[in-house]
Amino acid sequence: MNGIGSWSHMLLAFAGLALTTVLTRGSFFVLPASIQLPPRIERALRYAPACALTAIIAPDVLTRDRALYFSWHNNELWSVLIAAAVFAKTRNMLVMMVAGMTAFTLLRLYT
Amino acid sequence: MGTPSIAIAAWGLVTGVALVEGGLSTRMALVMTFVVFAGSAQLAVLPLLATGAPLFVVWITATLVNLRFVIFSAASRSFWGELPWKQRLFASYLNGDVGFALFMQRYSNDTERGTPEQHGFFFGCALLNWVSWMGSSVAGILLGGLAPTSWGLELAAVLALVAVLIPMANRAPALLGIVVTGVLGVATVRLPLKIGLLMSIVVGVVVAVVAETHLPRRPSPIEEAAEIAASEGGYGS
Repeated sequence: MNGIGSWSHMLLAFAGLALTTVLTRGSFFVLPASIQLPPRIERALRYAPACALTAIIAPDVLTRDRALYFSWHNNELWSVLIAAAVFAKTRNMLVMMVAGMTAFTLLRLYT
Repeated sequence: MGTPSIAIAAWGLVTGVALVEGGLSTRMALVMTFVVFAGSAQLAVLPLLATGAPLFVVWITATLVNLRFVIFSAASRSFWGELPWKQRLFASYLNGDVGFALFMQRYSNDTERGTPEQHGFFFGCALLNWVSWMGSSVAGILLGGLAPTSWGLELAAVLALVAVLIPMANRAPALLGIVVTGVLGVATVRLPLKIGLLMSIVVGVVVAVVAETHLPRRPSPIEEAAEIAASEGGYGS
């Protein structure tokens, strides 16, 4: 499914993405020094990116056509798990990428 | 400086390939890369853009992924107080994961802050990182356009996001938040307008923060953020 919008829609999307990136990176470079980050907010900021990434990854890998797809035939799931294990062990992104894509290709061709 | 630039180049290459395989045309991917300059956020919103999600969901998701930068900027603000606002804005644009990590590794213990040497180091690193990121991303975008879709390279985007996520899952509260978000995200996948996505993130973050308050030892989020930033793309281990 490709729902990529028109050029104007995408340019608007990109402009908003650029804005949030500069605003978050520069937030405290431009705020007056009297404004501090409360510890509890700091904790929440620390966990938000991990949860946001998970909310993208989990449905992508574990669902198909908006339903749970937990099966031996879910090649994407097994490839991601293999790649995650390789990355946890090596901490090398290129190695994990090759492992994941190789696993996916083998599963696609031989199952 | 060599190692981080190579790690960034590998990361940029993968991101470039993933953008095209995720459904963007070559030209759109090039525009996005030069305008946005935030690899993790670009990859995170790619599936949303590809399924025609509303723009507010795209922007909120990117902002949530970018919130780690707020910690970075709070941690390094005292280095920038004296500079004219144009230079601070330029520093903001360049203050990504690896540049921040390198800068803090070198200067976080300095009592004198905001020296010309520190600014020179920051901009030198950041510009070198920018060049290797953009060069490798463009290469990835052009290469991605050549690969047949039957290779299933769109999986590369998910794998890259997993590589960003794993260093963040370093302690129990983070792991708990991730599991809660994942389960809820899958359970609410049928809700319209990606409401389930946003809801599951909010619940996951609240659970992680509450879990954290029950732990006896809590490392400083700034140190943790610097550590995680350093492992971006596999550099720093």
